[in-house]
Amino acid sequence: MIVKTAGRALAPFILLSGVYVASFGFLSPGGGFQGGILLASGVILILVTHGRKEVHRLAENIDWFETFGAFSFLVVGLAGLVLGGYFFSNLIPNTPLMCIILDMVIALKVFAGTVAVFVYFFGLGVNEC
Amino acid sequence: MRKDLLTLLLIFMIAALLLQGLQLSYEDKADSEIDDYYKEHQSRTGSDNLVEAILLDFRAYDTFGEVMVLYVAIAGVIILGKTLKRRDDR
Repeated sequence: MIVKTAGRALAPFILLSGVYVASFGFLSPGGGFQGGILLASGVILILVTHGRKEVHRLAENIDWFETFGAFSFLVVGLAGLVLGGYFFSNLIPNTPLMCIILDMVIALKVFAGTVAVFVYFFGLGVNEC
Repeated sequence: MRKDLLTLLLIFMIAALLLQGLQLSYEDKADSEIDDYYKEHQSRTGSDNLVEAILLDFRAYDTFGEVMVLYVAIAGVIILGKTLKRRDDR
């Protein structure tokens, strides 16, 4: 009961700090990898305290998030190739656009990957998945 | 017995290498023109964080490889989980 209440109270703030770290990565320390891990730790907290029923819609579709993240990274690189002349060139020069987009994509991918590891390792002993 | 001696020899060799590394001085750094290049051209990326500028702009191709390594590792975990699940159901 205490664990459930504390988890429910803490998870939104952890998710918010994850979004902050990921989206301000081009101005301050942080970035996509760190923000993604923070986002994932918020979801994992709910997964541990409330069981997988609370996050089962996310848990069922987590592989698709992972694949979407990985391939949109490739698509951003190819868009740089088309618009700027070389692979991963900045889409609009002298703006942090490339850093922001790639940060978001990496945050989504790391988030999905870490949650997927936990979902599948927790799901091994449980019959529902 | 011979295996133990070999292990001991290996440990001493590694210790000697590490001691060599500890005695390096910080004054004679390696020649590096690339960091001057990064500092001069940082404004082209629009990013105030130099680490992020290198990671996602100058060396984005490297980060792409990193992301793909992570993708393959997690794909392995997912395949393992689904296979074990199917074997349990049978």
